[in-house]
Amino acid sequence: MVFNTGAALLDAIVLAVVSMDAEGTYGYKITQDVRQVIEISESTLYPVLRRLLRDGCLEVYDMEYGGRNRRYYKITEAGRAQLNLYISEWQIYAAKITRIFTGRGKDE
Amino acid sequence: MNREQFIRELERLLKDLPAGEREAAIQYYNDYFDDAGAENEAQVIRELGSPAQVAGTIRDGMSENGEYTERGYENTRFSDPQEISAGNRTAPAEAPHPRRGADPWKLLAILLLCLLLFPIVVPLFVTLLVIAGAVLLGIAGVMIGVAVAAVALPIAGIILMGLAVYNLFLRPGVGIALGGMGCLLLSAGILIFLMAVWIMKILIPFLLRSIVSILRYPLRKAGVVK
Repeated sequence: MVFNTGAALLDAIVLAVVSMDAEGTYGYKITQDVRQVIEISESTLYPVLRRLLRDGCLEVYDMEYGGRNRRYYKITEAGRAQLNLYISEWQIYAAKITRIFTGRGKDE
Repeated sequence: MNREQFIRELERLLKDLPAGEREAAIQYYNDYFDDAGAENEAQVIRELGSPAQVAGTIRDGMSENGEYTERGYENTRFSDPQEISAGNRTAPAEAPHPRRGADPWKLLAILLLCLLLFPIVVPLFVTLLVIAGAVLLGIAGVMIGVAVAAVALPIAGIILMGLAVYNLFLRPGVGIALGGMGCLLLSAGILIFLMAVWIMKILIPFLLRSIVSILRYPLRKAGVVK
């Protein structure tokens, strides 16, 4: 992609992807879902998840799946609040950029 | 390199990390291989890069300085400030000039210049101030004079006319002369009064405006006032 994704946007995308599954989701699936929208190397996601865990935006639990323990990631209340903040910030940002691009000037 | 070798190598590279950190990372990548499926093992290893690279991202993620973007780890303290060029990163165009703070030599030169010009600038400034004060005082004096004349002349005129009426019966010649002078004085007084009013209305705001703009001039040059 032409536009690069900064840390905050990547956090927001990961939080949004994780929040889509109420029961939580796992690393491989998160990576695949994030890769639907942005190009990201497979090794990038782990540190992002780890950071979100440390910041209390995500929590983990292990659940058996196919004869092994799989680690699931789930969004916390703090994470949801953070995601809402990211979403409202994004909407303001995107609206501003769109307004510039479509040349409708500043009508606010 | 297969999956077992990859994980073992990664474990070895993370040996000095706290056990919890290491185990979490190994768990993650084991999960990752399991969920990707055995048929994708080679592809996953290819995309992850070497175990050393993966260990590097884990380590970097534990320090607070850098941040992760889609291009992977980025420590903003060390990357070039040309953040705007995305995709094909262009080479940083020459060394960015440190804009903050002026050249110390330039500052020193300005300081020296100020010191040298001090004996010239201060008397000059004082002289200008005195001249400006004298001009203002002169204008004020003229205005006071005009005001006094504007009041005194009509009063004198009226008094003279009163005297004229009184004298008209005793000495008609003197009375007529006094009456004529009184009329002249009264009309001159009214004329000066009207002129004074006109001066107050037109000249004073103009003077005030010019004084303000003169005082603002150095500030405007310094860019303080637009």
